Amino acid sequence: MRLSVHRDRCEGYGLCVDEASSLLHLDDDGELVLDAEEVEPELSGVAEAAVRVCPVAALTMD
Amino acid sequence: MTLTRTSHSEVDLFSDEVLVDPYPVYRDLRDRGGAVRLSALDVWAIPRYADVRRALADWAGFSSRGIALNEPVNRMLVGSVLASDPPFHDTLRAVLSARLGPRAVRPLQAEIAGRAERLVDELVERGSFDAVTDLAVAFPFSVVFDLIGIPDDARPKMLGWADATFTVFGPLNERTLGGLDAIGEMFGWLGTLQATDLKEGSMGRDIFRAADEGRIGRESCIPLLAAYTSAGLDTTINAIANAVHLLGTHPDQWDLVTADPGLVPSALNEVLRYDAPVQGFGRTVTGDIEIDGAPVRSGSQVLLLYGSGNRDERRYPEPDRFDVTRNPVDHLAFGYGTHACAGQALARLEAHAVLTALATRVRRFRVGEPVRHLNNVVRGLERLPVDGLELR
Repeated sequence: MRLSVHRDRCEGYGLCVDEASSLLHLDDDGELVLDAEEVEPELSGVAEAAVRVCPVAALTMD
Repeated sequence: MTLTRTSHSEVDLFSDEVLVDPYPVYRDLRDRGGAVRLSALDVWAIPRYADVRRALADWAGFSSRGIALNEPVNRMLVGSVLASDPPFHDTLRAVLSARLGPRAVRPLQAEIAGRAERLVDELVERGSFDAVTDLAVAFPFSVVFDLIGIPDDARPKMLGWADATFTVFGPLNERTLGGLDAIGEMFGWLGTLQATDLKEGSMGRDIFRAADEGRIGRESCIPLLAAYTSAGLDTTINAIANAVHLLGTHPDQWDLVTADPGLVPSALNEVLRYDAPVQGFGRTVTGDIEIDGAPVRSGSQVLLLYGSGNRDERRYPEPDRFDVTRNPVDHLAFGYGTHACAGQALARLEAHAVLTALATRVRRFRVGEPVRHLNNVVRGLERLPVDGLELR
C-alpha cells in the first residue's frame, strides 16, 4: 500500500503526524514530509488512521 | 431491479423546541435511515456520520451552491467561498488559508496564550463571571478583530451580524427573516470599507492586496471579509461557551483535564463532537444517486447534519456520554474535505489557550442555569453564570 499527499490540498494541520509519526512528519516550514511512501502491512492500521483524521482529505492510501 | 425505500419525517428541525435539544430528533432520524425526507422543507436530512462524511468528501456530487435552505440566501451567496465549488472555490480559499492555515497561525500561539492567561486571571480575580459574555465572546473578539484589522466602530454590531450570518442558512422562518435585515446592514457597512480602512499587514488588508495582484476579483473582497468576520466569531464563541458548559456540568471530566492539561486538545475535540457549533449545512445533489437505498434525484437539496453524525452510535460508542479522553479527531464539527473550516487551526489555538489557562488555575467551578441561544445553524449559549471557583 502507498500513502500519497495531495499538495494542493494539504494545509499542514499535522493531525496525521499525531497518528502516524513513524510514517510522516512536518518539516521546519510546517510542510508535510512522507518518510515512507510504501506502507509495510504491520503499519497499515496507523496509516489508515492518519488518512482518516486529515481534515481536508489531502492524504490518501491505495 | 434495485429495491428502494423512502423514509419520511414531519419534524421541523428549526422549531424552538428542537433547537433547544435536537439530539432525540437526530437519533430518530438516524434510526429511520441514511437519508430521510423532511416533508416540511422539501429537503433530505442526512443524519448518519458515514453519509455526511462521504458527501463532504465529494464536492462534485454534492455542490455547495445549495448550502442554505432558502433560495434568497443561496442567490446572495453566489461567488462566496462557502457556496462555490472548485476550481473557483480554491482561488478564494487560498487567500484565507495563506493567513489562517496552521503554518500561518503557529507563530501567534504564544501571544494568544498570553491573552487567554490575562483574561482568565482577571475573571478568576472577580470570583464570578458570565462564561459567554465575559469569556467566550470577549476572547475571540480581542484576538480576531486585531487579526482581521477592521475598524473598531463595528465591534458593537459585529456579534449580532455574525449570528445572523449563520441563522439565515436555515429555511425562511422568522429567525432567517430577522437575520436577513441584519445581514443587509452588515454588507452595507462592509461595502463602505476601502483597503486603507484595514490595518496594514492584517488579514483583511491582505484580501485587498490579493485583488490588487490579480489573484482574486475585486468583487470577492467584501464577501471574503465577511467570511472572516462572521465565521471567525460565532463558531469559536460557541465552541468556548459549550466547552465551559460541558466541563462545568461534568466535574469528573474537568478533574481529568486539570490533572493533565495535555488532555485539552482531546477535550476540545470531544466538546466539538458533543455539541458542534455548526449543526449542519446544505448541499445540492448534482446527479441521481441512492443514499442508504433512498433515491435522491439530481437537483435535490440535502441537509448534512454534523450535529447528528457526531452523535452517531454507528461511529462513536455511547455517543451521548461526554468523555474527554475519547479524542474523536475525525468529528464533523469543522466539516471535512474541500470546504473544511479554513479557520480551524486558529479556532483550535484560541480554544486550547482558554481551556489551558482555566485548567492550570481553576480546580473546580460551578455553572448556573444556562440560557440557550437559538440560531437556525449554530448551537450555543446566550448566558452561562460561573461561580464557586476553587483555585489550584
